[in-house]
Amino acid sequence: MGTILAMNLRTTFPRIGLLALASGLIGCSNDPYFEFPVQSIVPTSLRKQEPNSEITPQAIVETLSATDLPVAFLGVPDRDSQVLLIRIEQNGPYETFANPERQSVTMRHGMITGTRGLSGDLMSTEEEALLALVRGRRAGQVTYIQRYLTPEDVTEVITYRCGVEPDATVDVSIGLVQDTATEMVAACESADGPPFVDYYKVSGSGEILASRQWLGENLGYVAMQMLQR
Amino acid sequence: MAAVSAHRAKRAGALATAGTVVLLTGSAQSETIPSYNTYGSPGLIDMPSAEMAPDATIGLTYGRIGDSNRGSFSFQITPWLSGTFRYTGIENFDHPASVDGVYYDRSFDVRVQLLRETRLRPAVAIGLQDFVGTGLYGGEYVVATKTLAPGLKVTGGLGWGRLGSYNSFTTIGDRSEVVLGEGGVPTYDRWFRGDVAAFGGISWSPNDKLTFELEYSSDDYTLESERGGFKHESPYSFGAQYRFDNNAQLGLYYAYGDTLGVQLTFPTNPKTSGIPGGVEVAGVPVKRRAAGSASDLGWTTDLEGTERSLEQRMTTNLAREQLELVNVELGPRSATVWLRNPTYGAPAQAIGRTARVMTRTLPASVEEFVIVPTENGIPMSAVTMKRSDLEALENDAAVEMLARTSISDAYGRRTPEDLVTFPRFSWEVAPYFDYSGFDPDMPLRIDVGARAAASYEIRRNIVLSGEIRKRVIGNLDEISRESESLLPRVRTDYRLYAKEGDPFIRYLTLDLYGRPAPDLYSRVSVGYLERMYAGVSGEVLWKPADSRLAFGAELNYVRRRAFDGMFGLEENVTVDPVSGIEREIPDVNGHVSGYYAFGNGFHGQVDVGRYLAGDYGATFTLTRDFANGWSVGAFATFTDVTEEEFGEGSFDKGILLTIPLSAGTSRPSRTASRQTIRSLQRDGGARLDVSSRLYDQVRTWHEPDVSNTWGRFWR
Repeated sequence: MGTILAMNLRTTFPRIGLLALASGLIGCSNDPYFEFPVQSIVPTSLRKQEPNSEITPQAIVETLSATDLPVAFLGVPDRDSQVLLIRIEQNGPYETFANPERQSVTMRHGMITGTRGLSGDLMSTEEEALLALVRGRRAGQVTYIQRYLTPEDVTEVITYRCGVEPDATVDVSIGLVQDTATEMVAACESADGPPFVDYYKVSGSGEILASRQWLGENLGYVAMQMLQR
Repeated sequence: MAAVSAHRAKRAGALATAGTVVLLTGSAQSETIPSYNTYGSPGLIDMPSAEMAPDATIGLTYGRIGDSNRGSFSFQITPWLSGTFRYTGIENFDHPASVDGVYYDRSFDVRVQLLRETRLRPAVAIGLQDFVGTGLYGGEYVVATKTLAPGLKVTGGLGWGRLGSYNSFTTIGDRSEVVLGEGGVPTYDRWFRGDVAAFGGISWSPNDKLTFELEYSSDDYTLESERGGFKHESPYSFGAQYRFDNNAQLGLYYAYGDTLGVQLTFPTNPKTSGIPGGVEVAGVPVKRRAAGSASDLGWTTDLEGTERSLEQRMTTNLAREQLELVNVELGPRSATVWLRNPTYGAPAQAIGRTARVMTRTLPASVEEFVIVPTENGIPMSAVTMKRSDLEALENDAAVEMLARTSISDAYGRRTPEDLVTFPRFSWEVAPYFDYSGFDPDMPLRIDVGARAAASYEIRRNIVLSGEIRKRVIGNLDEISRESESLLPRVRTDYRLYAKEGDPFIRYLTLDLYGRPAPDLYSRVSVGYLERMYAGVSGEVLWKPADSRLAFGAELNYVRRRAFDGMFGLEENVTVDPVSGIEREIPDVNGHVSGYYAFGNGFHGQVDVGRYLAGDYGATFTLTRDFANGWSVGAFATFTDVTEEEFGEGSFDKGILLTIPLSAGTSRPSRTASRQTIRSLQRDGGARLDVSSRLYDQVRTWHEPDVSNTWGRFWR
């Protein structure tokens, strides 16, 4: 199935990895949780980005025929990677989609509210007001909050002011999802983070069928498409 | 299917115009690292500036002017306070202490920014250079720096001491020439006294890669000219600095009209380096109970059966999160999980992942979750939360869950037997490195080798563990410098241990851990406690779970180990190789300790007691601890040993640096590299080095540390 979303390697310490590799020493233990420093450093910093196998139509057909659960496609253009995610859990309006590599994305009516295991994850959002406008296909100004962890492991809160407007009506036909949708545009700015413009294709029932959503400086813009609801 | 069709951006323009304004003004994160000087501090070429690096920046610098080589470690302690430790080697220097013509010296600097730069006024800083020690680089300054236009900065200042030695225009008082004590004490009798001279310069950065610098120096290089080959032909120096993508800086200079200068700086920052949030896989999501299921108590009719199947499922599920279930106790409305965390450096992440597993495995009527983290078999705290809060707040800010979580003492909770059977045996083989620094004969010696460690848990709180090391390559055994000590040679015989101990047993101890009373933790260790001492060590720690404050007491009975590092023990008597005098090491030493978490990451510790050589005194330690496991700190020990008795350096002091393994891997880990950088190890103020002290184990699971890492609860 999907490729592992490649990690952002720019911020790791390749020097340490090289040093460790150069030492050429081998470690071992009977403890399953034993971390051999060299082993655990080298794969991270020296691993090349996984060859990007684009999700093929065949892979999508296989996945859709194997499950009746909702399936979503996620593309991270900045990392040149794509994954298929299957819904594994629901908590109220929040749905968590994941793949066997244990990467997950949580969405509320198709709006991404959190990611895990992608590195540089979006931890949570305050999306209530933005989601209401987008689902209602109405224009307006709302506050929207994204939360991230910093490398220090401190929560960074970025409060955005977003202008939301409906755009054209389009036909959506992706995977097994076929519907008419309204394109919604949300342009957001903040004193604490870069501005962005999100797009949402929203069905008549207020479900986001596809989107391009900003998930912070580490992930950049992410493309999501529902393939099966 | 083809790749996702690109969304059109036709309407984005109008909506995003306001956004671009934000981009141009820049965000708070774009704090730039200033140019460093050859002394390893923000500055021009040789002269300081009033600039500060971004908070928490660590700068490693190699600088060279003429025959002077300077290696520096600088840390931005707070946004307005920085400190630098420097090791200097001046070649071709005619001095009795020179080795092969190279004179080595250590120095500390501090700099305080008094005013931040604004639109109208410059930044103003005051600094002490080489303010403890022999004062080779001793100088003080007041300096101002102003950005005139983007990329163009001017700096001007007044210097005293070394920085007032060229073309001084006035004199304020008398500057002492006397070295206080045996060096290594603050040279307060010199500060801001004597000749005063002006220095200054301009730096211009046409882009963010290049910086050109021109400097007028107030340093006459008197000593280097008198004793070395330095020629001071001009006060002007100029050059260019290049900045690499990783922010490393390389500067090349033409200095003082006659010589060349080089500066290479590697900055890093615990707050901003590394992958935000790490790269580890997702934890399992919360499983919300079906409406109405919470009142179903049908399963309680077969409590034991449910518990048995639960143990199995929970063990498997926690293992998937790389956590270990010690045991689980199930009640109709409440469940307690005893947990072992071999994986997560952030305690909150271990707790968060466990809580989510509990939502997926426990019967629906269980509303109260209690997680009891254990270390060495003893419960460290009881973290209590409500299941309905976990269900409701999974997608909220992490602080919401923190506000509804209580952390209390786990004392008195009946702790069931472990699910795993004892004894448990584990072993590992891995490489190690060891080093010895600042020996004039060889400023840095390194050993690299293999270490084999094993631990045998007899009962859950009784552990027999040891480690043996074998050098593969290195030169620590070549230390030949013998210096006289006026104290029992409790540490200065290190040379002999390094020479004769290959392989050597680093430690081999039987440790017994316990909880004697509420808020109290205890440890007794017997065996080969550290490389140089064997004996018995007992410790008690008082630490309420929600407290920033802790007190501890430790008492040790020691026997000196044989130099070969094997099982042999020696009399507690040392013979000085220079004077031939025999001195006795007391059998008993110990300390009472106070620990306090100030908040904002600052952490203080005071240890008062009797040290190895029998001297009485106190050690003061201040560290800045980061939530991700980095820590930078300093310590100083003052005992009743006089400066003359102590010898070079006057008293024991050093820098503490902890780098978590996860900084390199971006994967969760409890492993960290802990280094103590001492300019000199003498026999006064030396403490027994017991590796299993309680405080770090206990604080991990108590309120301040758990709260600090809480951002990772849902990670």
